[in-house]
Amino acid sequence: MEGTSSRWRGVLPAVLLAALFVYAAWPWLPFARAERNPPTIVFYGFSILADAFHDGIFPAFQKVWAAEGGGRVEFASSFGGSGTVTNQIVMGVPAQVALLSLESDADRLADAGVIPRDSWKRLPNAGVLNLTPFVILVRPGNPLGIRGFEDLGKPGVRVVHPDPMTSGGANWAVVAEYGSGFRGSPGGPAAGVAVLAGVWKNVVAQAASARAARTQFENGFGDALVTYEQDALFDKSRGRLRADVAYPPRTILSEHTLIVVDRNIRPRERALVDRFVRFLWSEEAQKVFVRFGFRSVRPELDAANPGFGSIADPFRIADFGGWKRARREIVEGVWKDRVMKATPNR
Amino acid sequence: MTSPSAPSAPRAAVPVGIVLLVLLPLILMPLSAIFIFAFRGGADDFLRVLTSRDAQFALRFSLLIAFATAAINAVFGTYTAYVLSRYRFRGKQPLGIVVNLPVAIPTVVVGTSLLLLWGPIGLLGRLLAPLGIQPMFAPAGVLLAHLFVTFPYMLGAVKPVLDEIEGTYEEAAYTIGASRWQAFRWVILPALKGGLFSGALLTFAHSLGEFGATVLVSGNLRLRTQTAPLYIFAQFEAGNVAAANAVAAVLATLSFVIFFFLLRYTERRGR
Repeated sequence: MEGTSSRWRGVLPAVLLAALFVYAAWPWLPFARAERNPPTIVFYGFSILADAFHDGIFPAFQKVWAAEGGGRVEFASSFGGSGTVTNQIVMGVPAQVALLSLESDADRLADAGVIPRDSWKRLPNAGVLNLTPFVILVRPGNPLGIRGFEDLGKPGVRVVHPDPMTSGGANWAVVAEYGSGFRGSPGGPAAGVAVLAGVWKNVVAQAASARAARTQFENGFGDALVTYEQDALFDKSRGRLRADVAYPPRTILSEHTLIVVDRNIRPRERALVDRFVRFLWSEEAQKVFVRFGFRSVRPELDAANPGFGSIADPFRIADFGGWKRARREIVEGVWKDRVMKATPNR
Repeated sequence: MTSPSAPSAPRAAVPVGIVLLVLLPLILMPLSAIFIFAFRGGADDFLRVLTSRDAQFALRFSLLIAFATAAINAVFGTYTAYVLSRYRFRGKQPLGIVVNLPVAIPTVVVGTSLLLLWGPIGLLGRLLAPLGIQPMFAPAGVLLAHLFVTFPYMLGAVKPVLDEIEGTYEEAAYTIGASRWQAFRWVILPALKGGLFSGALLTFAHSLGEFGATVLVSGNLRLRTQTAPLYIFAQFEAGNVAAANAVAAVLATLSFVIFFFLLRYTERRGR
C-alpha cells in the first residue's frame, strides 16, 4: 500500500523541477524584465580576438555609447577560426560586424554575394584594424637554437603548424616562411621555396586552427610552433606561457580585415553600428588592442606594450602583391603544388 | 523481489571492487577531474564565473531548450509510440526503424542537414527568407536540432510499456462506449506514467548535454544562442579552463540529480 509518505516523495522532484524552470525562465518573465531589449551589435571574430574584444573593446564602447547619450548597448559575439567564421557568415549567421584574419576571407564573402566587393576598403586604413607578426614558439631556453624560419628546416626539428587549408593563421605563416627566404640573402623565389620546403619537411602535426596547433604544442608535442605574436604575448601576460618566443629577423605582419554586413543591419541599428566601427580605429580602441598584444595600425601607440619584440625586416602582404596574388602564387602555387607534392610521406 | 539475504552482503565486496576498479579510470576519475579543475581557483572564482552573464545565459538557455524539448517530444514521442503500437499499416516496420535513427546518426550530420534544409540558403529556408522567417542561428534552430536528436529516447521509454499493456482493458473501455481519446486518457495514460516520466527525464538530460548539432545550427552567439555545452567549449578554446569546468560541474550535478530521481522512480515502480 502506498501511504502519504510516498505521495510526498513525488512532491520533491516536482518542486525542484518548478524551481529550475523559474530560474531558467526568469530573465524572460514579464515582471523581471526591467530593461527591455537594449540594442545589440552582433560581432563575429577569428579565434585569437576573443579576450581583446570581450574584456577590452566591448566594455570600452559601452562606456563611450552611454557617455554620448546612446544608453545601453549589448554585444552578441562569437569567435572561431577565420575560415569557419567566413563559412558561417556565408551560411547566414546574423553577423553585423566581423573581423577576419585574412583579406581573402573577405574576398570569399564578396564572391558569395554577402558583401559588396571591396566594401571593406572604404573603411579607415582599408579595413585593416590591427596587426601582429608571426613568430616561432620554442621550448624554454631554446635548446635547438632556433632564430628564424630557416632554422626550422634543420634536421631533427619537429614543427607544429596549423593547416593552411582551414586556418587563416597558417596562410600567414606560409607567406612568412616563403618571404623569409625570398627577402634573405641571396634571396629570390628559389630561396623562398627552399625555406618553405625545409619547414614543411619537418612538420609533424597539422592542426585545423592556430589555437588547436597551440594546444598540441602546449601539451608537449613538437619542438617549435609557428604562431601569432599576440597569442604568445597574451599567454605570457597571464603567466601561462611555458615557452620562449623566437623573433625571426624577417617575418610578416598579419593584417586583420574588418567587414560590415549591411544586410544584417536594420535601419534603426545603422547609427549604432557605424559608431562602433568608427570607434574601433579610435586611439582608445587601438590602445586596448596594444594592451592585449596586438600591434596598432598607429605605430606610435605600440610603445605602451613592452612585450613587443623587435623585427629587423618586417614585411606585409602588399610586398607580395596582396592576398589574391599571394594566395595564388605562394599558398597554391608553391606550398600546395610544389612543397606538399614533394613530401610524399604525407 | 525478495529482500537481500544476509550472506550476500560480504560476498558483494569482490564484484563491487572489480566494478569500481574498472570504472575508476573510465568514468569516476574523469568526472572528479571536472570538479577538481572547477574549484582550482577557489570557491570565489567558481562563483564569479558562474554568476557571469555569459554563463548565466548559457545555463538558462540550455535549461529552457531542455524543458521545451522534453515537453514537445513527450507529446510527439508518445503519440508516435501509440500509433506504432496500436495500428497496423504498411511500412510500419521501416517507420519504426527510421524514428530510431537519430541515435545512430552523428550529431554533426544532423546539424548540417538542418542547415541545408532550413538555413538561409537551404532548400526550404530560401523560401522562408523573403517572409522574414529564419529558424537557423536562432533559438528555434536549436530547438529543432534537439527535437531531432532526442526523439528516440521518449519513444524508447514509452513504446515497450505500451506494447505490454493488455489490449483487453482498452477493449473493455470501448465496449462501454469510450472514445479512442477517453480510452487513452483513462486506461493507457495512467499505466504509461512511469515511461513518460523516465522518457522525459532522459530527453531533458540529453538535450542539456547536446553539442554536435547545436554548434552548427546555433551560430554559437554569446547571450543569444549559446547553450551551456557551447559555452564550455568556447571557454576551453580560449584557454579558460576554470570557467569551462565551473559550468561543466553544474551540468554534471544537474545530470546527477536527474538520474538520481530517474533511478529512484524506476526502482519504486519495479518493486
